[in-house]
Amino acid sequence: MSTDNLIDRLAGDLKPVRRRAPVAEAGLLAAVCILELAIFLGLGLARPDLMATLSEPVLWWKFGALGLLAVIGFGTALRSFSPVASARKGLFLIGLLAAASVATAWGLDTTHPRGAELLARLDPPDGLRCLGYVVGLSLPPLLLLAVLMRRGAATDRAGSASAVGIGSAAWAAWVFVFACPHDDPFYVVVWYALACSVIAVATRVILPRLTRW
Amino acid sequence: MAGDAAAYKVLLGDVRVWLQRYYARRLPPAIVEDAVQDALIAVHDKRHTYDLNRPFGPWLAAIARYKWIDRLRSLKRMAAEPLGDGVAIGDHESAVISATILEELLASLKPAQSEVIRLVKLYGFSVEEAAERTGQSVSLVKVNIHRGLARLTLAVERQAHVDG
Repeated sequence: MSTDNLIDRLAGDLKPVRRRAPVAEAGLLAAVCILELAIFLGLGLARPDLMATLSEPVLWWKFGALGLLAVIGFGTALRSFSPVASARKGLFLIGLLAAASVATAWGLDTTHPRGAELLARLDPPDGLRCLGYVVGLSLPPLLLLAVLMRRGAATDRAGSASAVGIGSAAWAAWVFVFACPHDDPFYVVVWYALACSVIAVATRVILPRLTRW
Repeated sequence: MAGDAAAYKVLLGDVRVWLQRYYARRLPPAIVEDAVQDALIAVHDKRHTYDLNRPFGPWLAAIARYKWIDRLRSLKRMAAEPLGDGVAIGDHESAVISATILEELLASLKPAQSEVIRLVKLYGFSVEEAAERTGQSVSLVKVNIHRGLARLTLAVERQAHVDG
């Protein structure tokens, strides 16, 4: 087909379109996340001593760091679905925040002697359960963002996919904090980071292939 | 975005011209038109991502660049056809060697001599044109060519004597 014919065909097929609205997309994402949290708490999965641990700095560190990572990850992802925006700055900020969170954990970890009984502190059976929960909880926002990314026009698909994965994983970990009985920063850093990494890497590998345009 | 087909056709015409210039500088000529069509389809499919409050150029450039990188990746994936041993091509070895030897010989001359020999004997300028270009008089150009060629002949004969 000649380019002239193509232009004629495209002009002939023209239909009014609704402009992409990142704010509406963010609202939809927030609604899905709130619904997921409500269902999670409604199922009675929160730890029984949650109220008693509210004074613990570790709990607020978990909520703060993961919440910030989720907000920046979601924001970066939604922004990067436009062809003129890049995910690089957001991902850089996420990297800095993750490093700062780990450093803070090191400071909070005062109750355990350095290097003592690391395997016991990791509690692998609980850690694997944590990993499974976080992966499962990340799916609703991840699937929604995948649909939005496919509808958008991300020009850095790998970067956008990474932001989607990190945002969804951080959100899932944030929700799981309500249920997680472990307040040991070492445990949190290892298992939460592992869960988030698994989701982020899988998303980074799979999503760009599904959102090619 | 509102569905004005006539305005859209004019826009796509302008976009096409821009894309042709863009890809002509970045892709082999044989695939420029394919890349233009690909980008036009992308512009059409993703027009809902254009923000009317922002300039159109950067949005179009981002899509064109994305499609260009996509095209480069697909070029990279395309297997190159290996040339068989039987493909007949001219042997340029002797020409290359001759050019190298000639450059070495010319470098052994005085600059004024080698310059006019290059201009008159290799590039085809007339003696007058060479004189004008080099600032030498016509008679000096003739003398330099004569003496330079004589020195070249001598150098070649000496080399032949050494090799022989």
